[in-house]
Amino acid sequence: MTEQFVDQRELTGADANRSVWASLRSRPLFWICAVALGLLAVIAIMPGTLAGLLSTSDPRACELSLSVKPPSAAHPFGTDIQGCDILANVFYGARTSLLIGFVATALCAIVALVLGTSAGYYGGLADRIISRLTDVFLGFPFLLGAIVVLNSVATRSALIVALVLALFTWPTLARLVRSSVRSVRESEFVHAASAVGMTDGRILREHVVPNSLGPVLAIVTTMVGNVIVAESTLTFLGVGLRTPSISWGLQLATAQSYFQTAPHLLLYPGLFLTLTVLSLITLGDILRDALDPKGRK
Amino acid sequence: MRTLRFSIVAALTVAVTLSACSSGGSGEGDRSISVGVTDPTTLVPARQSVAFDFSAAVWSPLTFVRADGKIDYIQAESIESDDSVTWTVTLRDGWTFHDGTPVNAQSYIDSWNAAAYGPNAFENAGQLANIVGFDDLNPEKGKPSTTEMSGLQLVDDLTFKVELKDADSQFPLQVSQAQTAMFPMPESAMKDFDAYTKHPVGNGPFEMDGDYTENQPFTVTANNDYAGDDPTVDSITFKPYTDLSTAYTDVRAGNLDVASVPPNRLPQSEADFGDSLYTFEAPGISFLGLPLWDERYKDVKVRQAISMAIDRDSINDVIYGGQFVPADAFTPSIEPGTPDGLCGDYCKYDPKSAKKLLDEAGGFDGAMEIYYPGGGGDDDLYNAIANNLRQSLGIDVTARPSADWAEFLDNRTAEKVDGPFFSRWGALYPSQQATLRPLFVENGGCANCVPWYTDEVTAAIRKADKDDDGTGEAYADVQDLLLEDFPAPPLFFETYSYVTSDKIADLPTSPVGNPQLTKVKLTD
Repeated sequence: MTEQFVDQRELTGADANRSVWASLRSRPLFWICAVALGLLAVIAIMPGTLAGLLSTSDPRACELSLSVKPPSAAHPFGTDIQGCDILANVFYGARTSLLIGFVATALCAIVALVLGTSAGYYGGLADRIISRLTDVFLGFPFLLGAIVVLNSVATRSALIVALVLALFTWPTLARLVRSSVRSVRESEFVHAASAVGMTDGRILREHVVPNSLGPVLAIVTTMVGNVIVAESTLTFLGVGLRTPSISWGLQLATAQSYFQTAPHLLLYPGLFLTLTVLSLITLGDILRDALDPKGRK
Repeated sequence: MRTLRFSIVAALTVAVTLSACSSGGSGEGDRSISVGVTDPTTLVPARQSVAFDFSAAVWSPLTFVRADGKIDYIQAESIESDDSVTWTVTLRDGWTFHDGTPVNAQSYIDSWNAAAYGPNAFENAGQLANIVGFDDLNPEKGKPSTTEMSGLQLVDDLTFKVELKDADSQFPLQVSQAQTAMFPMPESAMKDFDAYTKHPVGNGPFEMDGDYTENQPFTVTANNDYAGDDPTVDSITFKPYTDLSTAYTDVRAGNLDVASVPPNRLPQSEADFGDSLYTFEAPGISFLGLPLWDERYKDVKVRQAISMAIDRDSINDVIYGGQFVPADAFTPSIEPGTPDGLCGDYCKYDPKSAKKLLDEAGGFDGAMEIYYPGGGGDDDLYNAIANNLRQSLGIDVTARPSADWAEFLDNRTAEKVDGPFFSRWGALYPSQQATLRPLFVENGGCANCVPWYTDEVTAAIRKADKDDDGTGEAYADVQDLLLEDFPAPPLFFETYSYVTSDKIADLPTSPVGNPQLTKVKLTD
């Protein structure tokens, strides 16, 4: 009995995965986003080496006499107010932004998976407690909450900022996981698995969680983009990262005073930020379309 | 009928056009100006910290220091002393407050006692600290047993004597235009300071029009009964701005007549305003404070090396649009007798010699973190200095802002800073004393701005206070002592910059660096 059910499920699972991949593969937009993100990932992994190929590899090698120079051969993106190479700074900024985006989202996803699955699968008291907890967190205006928390911590490293962002973003995801788990829990194969005496742990691991992940994955991708924007916003407002950190938000904050006379200070970090976030959000959208059987053509 | 209707319409059109002409813009006879300010929150002169321009319009000081350093007597007829300890102040006869009560010697004695009275906790009380009896009004613990300073004595209706703790030749400067704690208040003020801060009554060329409400514009109008020189404008409106960049933009758009230039607009201000940009030499000076409680900064060569590694000229050009002056002495050069060029090679950018000096001193262990107050627009300056030091001296230098001004001040006062830090002092009267005393005498006013207090320097400042004849040359010895020990690298002599709308033809200043709004010349 058990074997039969499991086999049948795995077959449909593999089938579904195959058709998702086919749907993604056929969309040019998917490839554009994937390539853009791939490039950004390479830049974030080795910003120094890549910047070195194009201009200078040290973002802190600055010459005041070269302050606010427009793009040239030696400095393809020009120089900022301190005479530092903007290209090197934007590349190092990519590392910080992506790091914060992925760390915050990963933390958020772990918390959301654990809490959302418990609430959705067990229901009852656990569901009520966890649901109220997410309501409480959703009640905080996100920016205000982040500003208050960030203003009360002594140091604001990339990790601290990622933690704070995760603190305020997990509830949305937890709700999603919960509803997704609830619908899977009612499926026949879960009932069957339960009927044949599989432990809760095994049912969750092998049936419930893998089948609830689809919609979560799409939202998580979008969320990385949102977190990167949130970090830049907070930094721009002066409550996120601080010097000597290198981040797009900081570069934008400095550039705002000078952008009338030197627009390129604002242009390049802004362009990279927009491209990154746009790629992530579009990718999330495409994933959601592909994963949602009703929305699929 | 048809022609009648047409002519009515025509007449109306003409009337509308005419009235639009007369009400629009600065027609003839409109002699009012508007000034962008930071919201003052309090207007009591002994408490204000950002209402200097308002105070200068509503009050007249005893003395006024002119650009050439000479003293004009305004409310005072004379201020004299034989020994620099006991000063006799004689007031001009016939001057009144805006409420009609006379300005007499008793007004000054009452006002100064109220300003110095500890429980009032007036922010500018320190300006009166050298008067005998000040300590009785500010005991270390508990309530003072008296409400009057014994050093103030009434002689007659227009004359009073001031006895100082230490001989001080600079006293006539200490009662000049920016020392607002020295301004007189009428009897009605002492009864109710809460009412007084909403509607201050002074003895100056302008009187308050209506009441002051926080974050609302407030206006002063020319006082016809003023006994001194008539002002050149009829009224001044002070408009509070939370962001001075907005005020700057408003002046450009013609919605505001005068605004100070925020640091981040300095580089573009000349291109934006041309002749309507006024850069006033001011008695402000900035230093790179050094944590002298840290062993690594004990060797004078380390301090000199740090000074020589800073490219003041380039920083001035890039960050201040060339409007500051690289410092070459320990007091701003507008203060009479300042030995310009004293600092010599130690204040000139010379990375090679700097590195050599540092090596002679045995190098520098570990990283260096410059600490400065966040949110004040100083990020570019300290990042530039960090870059300079890192590249000239090979030390790993970064710049870190504090969360806010309060955090910075707490840490600096408690000596909890382990790297170079922000340090500046804006003096309120043009005398070297006004810079040296707060910075280099313990409890002088700027705690730990330069954490290096020696008996030798304190004694030298005291001696100069006593001996100076008005030229400031007596302070030369103090500066020599400072150069020898080089406790902190001087960075810039500051200027205060203002921009004006087309309505203003000339904006005069005084040696405290502020505009003189009562003498503004309007475009005719």
